[in-house]
Amino acid sequence: MIDTIIFNDIIHGLFVLILGTAALIITQRSLTSLFNIYAAQSLILAVMAIVLFIEYGTLNLLFIAILTLAVKTIFIPLFLHKVLKRISVKRDLQFMFLSPASSILISAILIFVVYLFFTNIAGDLFADRLILLVGVIGIALALMGMMVIFSRKRVITKTVGYLTMENGVLLFSLFMAEMPFIIEILIVLDLLMIIVLSAVLAFGIDSGMEEFHKKLNRLGIWIED
Amino acid sequence: MIDLTMLAYCIPGLLLVLALIFSGRNKFPANDAVLNTFSIIHAFYLLGLTFVVLFGAKLPVYFMEGRYFAIDRLSLYEILIATIVFCLSAIYARGYIRDLLNIGEIERTNTRLFYGAFNLLFTVIVLSFLANNVALYWIFLELTTLLSALLIIILKARENITASLKYVFIASSAMLFSFIGIIILYALNRDQIADGNLNWDTLLAIAPSLPGTAFGIAFILLFIGFGAKSGLVPFHTWLPIAHSRAPSVVSALLSGVLLNIGIYGILRLNAVATQTSVGDNLKVFLIVAGIISILVPAFCLAARTNSKKFIAFSSIEHMGLLVLGIGLSSPAVLFWVLFHMLGHSLSKTLLFFSAGIFHRQYESNKYFQIKNAFKLQPLASWGLILGSLSVLGVPLFPIFLSKLNILAGLADFSLAGLVIVLLLLFIIASSFGYYLVRAFNSKEDETELKVYNTPKSMKWPIVFIIVILLVLGLYMPGGLADLLNGIVNDLGF
Amino acid sequence: MNWNMILYTVLNTAFVLLFAPLLVSLIKKVKAMCQGRRGTPLLQTYFQLFKLFKKEIIYSDNSSFIMRISPYLNIAFLLVASIFIPIVFIPAQESGFGNIILFLYLMVCARFFMALSGLDAGSTFGGMGSSREMTIASIIEPTTLMACAAIAFILKTTNIPEMFGTVLDGSILQYPTLFLVPSSLFIILIVETARVPVDNPETHLELTMVHEAMILEQSGPKLALMELSYGIKQLILMALLINILFPWGMATDATAAGILISIASFIVKALILAVVMGVFESFFAKIRFFRLPDFFMIAFFLSFATIVFELLS
Repeated sequence: MIDTIIFNDIIHGLFVLILGTAALIITQRSLTSLFNIYAAQSLILAVMAIVLFIEYGTLNLLFIAILTLAVKTIFIPLFLHKVLKRISVKRDLQFMFLSPASSILISAILIFVVYLFFTNIAGDLFADRLILLVGVIGIALALMGMMVIFSRKRVITKTVGYLTMENGVLLFSLFMAEMPFIIEILIVLDLLMIIVLSAVLAFGIDSGMEEFHKKLNRLGIWIED
Repeated sequence: MIDLTMLAYCIPGLLLVLALIFSGRNKFPANDAVLNTFSIIHAFYLLGLTFVVLFGAKLPVYFMEGRYFAIDRLSLYEILIATIVFCLSAIYARGYIRDLLNIGEIERTNTRLFYGAFNLLFTVIVLSFLANNVALYWIFLELTTLLSALLIIILKARENITASLKYVFIASSAMLFSFIGIIILYALNRDQIADGNLNWDTLLAIAPSLPGTAFGIAFILLFIGFGAKSGLVPFHTWLPIAHSRAPSVVSALLSGVLLNIGIYGILRLNAVATQTSVGDNLKVFLIVAGIISILVPAFCLAARTNSKKFIAFSSIEHMGLLVLGIGLSSPAVLFWVLFHMLGHSLSKTLLFFSAGIFHRQYESNKYFQIKNAFKLQPLASWGLILGSLSVLGVPLFPIFLSKLNILAGLADFSLAGLVIVLLLLFIIASSFGYYLVRAFNSKEDETELKVYNTPKSMKWPIVFIIVILLVLGLYMPGGLADLLNGIVNDLGF
Repeated sequence: MNWNMILYTVLNTAFVLLFAPLLVSLIKKVKAMCQGRRGTPLLQTYFQLFKLFKKEIIYSDNSSFIMRISPYLNIAFLLVASIFIPIVFIPAQESGFGNIILFLYLMVCARFFMALSGLDAGSTFGGMGSSREMTIASIIEPTTLMACAAIAFILKTTNIPEMFGTVLDGSILQYPTLFLVPSSLFIILIVETARVPVDNPETHLELTMVHEAMILEQSGPKLALMELSYGIKQLILMALLINILFPWGMATDATAAGILISIASFIVKALILAVVMGVFESFFAKIRFFRLPDFFMIAFFLSFATIVFELLS
């Protein structure tokens, strides 16, 4: 329904923004802005779903947009902020192996490798240029999220990394296939449960408060290797 | 009537969870004896239901409009193995959890959480075997990750929390990759059938017409997810830590049943893959993945001092063996792969139960803490020894038959591979022997070591498993052989 | 004799020389107004330069010939580089002139001599400024190259006048990926002109200086030349940014009306960009030196993303 060139431009612009937010997530030190960037990323995804809905008209897309908006843009960041308040930690200064600069360098290389892989090996699946773009950006997002999980020490940051991976997969699914409603709902529920569990566990590990550490039993017999 | 079976499978678990949530401060449901009795009843009920369906129904059966759930012989067989392990764990948990509660390692207030998660895990495992739709199967797999993580952190030690977090993150990240694979499969599916439904049986039907490279990519992505859940190398790093830190009854569930769910997914996937055009390449991929998964534990085992970690590495090795067998993809080998799953689940349960008793006795998992084992805990000692023999594949035990035939299948495929695998299995066997000899050989006059009074509920499962293993190793029931042959047929081989 | 080229060179250089100090004072005034002051008058830099030209030169006893020639070399390199960026009109093509890589490395040569002169006087602060400047330069270089590579990849040429011509001909919508480029170019602009958050050009504390430290020892006309060359560098980088994105109004041939319109439209756009830069500077604090690579990497990543997007569409 929209003119094709403008549609293409809008989609490309949104992809640019998503990649930008992913780069910011990798290099963030401040935890509050990390959650806000994640919320912004989910918002962009919701907008993309709405644009696709206007173009193609599948009701499923509108539904996904609303779900993403409600859960990933509003609920999960709010929840994470609440958890952050109870952990008295404001910044994640510990980068385990990779400094922010090297993380970006590695993700740039990863994106390029994914692009090469998709154009040479998976030729027939990604014939359409738009699908190729989606594939590369989606998998790049997933890989960058995985890099966050494995290179940061604090569990809260790892949770946001996992959420980024989930966003990448959602991006993929927006363009490639429409899942039935019930599956979508169950996936979101499952995501919520994982986040709640990780956040509660994160509270146990990340907490800077000494009293909480004492509460955890140092059960000598269970500590062994 | 058969349509209600699925509902019948779910009801007890859900009922319990609802009861626990709404019972509030009431003391009655929080009593661990009551909860445990309910768990035992639940497990036996599931077992009984499985037998009823096995002998009563004409399989395969489909439920609901979109054929989201289905029972066919493979699912039923897996549910059978799972429910047997459930029953044994529920009985064992009676004494074990009561002891932990008495000592205080599990807080009283967490009893409900433990048993709620325990029973819900039963239900979710059964549902995941029943799921026909691949996306639904994925969801249930994620739910099992959640529930088992909950069961691991029940002990509230800091190390348990890190172990469980590692488990959740590695498993969930890998499952996200397999979700991408599901999406690709879905897109491929929709090209073929207008009303594309991502069911295992539909996939099997349209397999020959799927485009090769695309399916190959989807296969590898799905393999990442299912492999991480089954503890295949290189996604196995969570397994030793999680299985050794969990309470022994939970470890038995994890090793005995949860690893099977991942292998079930790989089995179904392989059945589809052999019909496609890239079937041969994927076959080699699976075989190599299997060999690697035997290689890494072989070298990690020897240096272990913690018995439960030891046993966990052996689980990885057996999963590697299973994937090797699945990759070989011949009807004979597949028959024995299925049989191996039964033997492995029972042996691992035996091993973990015995290790649990040792832990209660010596307050430690290390081998050098085990002193005067035969005098203090004769049953557990024999359990550990016989379990190790069983897991290694010594004749008289069922794993001997399955290992022999899988390796024979490998010999048909490649002799070099056979030599490598035999070498690795030899390393594993000697590590086991070394460990056991060191463990049981310390004879110190520790007269002040108090004998731990193993409750009867912890002894009976061990005796029962030893008997079953010996029976299975000597005599294959005809019904079982027919069932397994039927499964191999269903899968299209 | 190529009259087109000669006219272009004279006009372009004259415009650059005349307009550069205005932009410097404009940015200072914008920053002052953001801080609630009234700031210096807009022509202040011109007055400053006149004053400096009349003062006497004092050389340190330890300085060598480098100190004497580096201001001249500096402004010479920068003026040659300024010829590469068409502002008044796009000249007819000559071979080998206008290459973007050559443009970049002319600026690097200028910076090299400035760093040498900072070391030359033998004072600690000069040496410190030089070493910091060189560190920043070596880190920003891959990013700059990547950004220029991105532009060259999109517009399919490495010749700057040709690039401007291409963007002028086609509509901006034909090159949607060009929208990613301004952010990296902007960050490079900030770094090359030593502005907050990389370095504070108005600091008077020598320990915090990077760029200013290198010209501490200069005096009189030489100092005026250094200040002027700073302004020229800023102007030509701004011109690159503006003309890649918004080249409207630029003339393609040497008509009087066309040139006047070019100059007028460029002045308007440059004033707007200067205000934006001033506001941007007021919003940020100087970043810790060791955190600078992280900041540059964002620019690198955006340029890289531009190339990937161009490949994918």
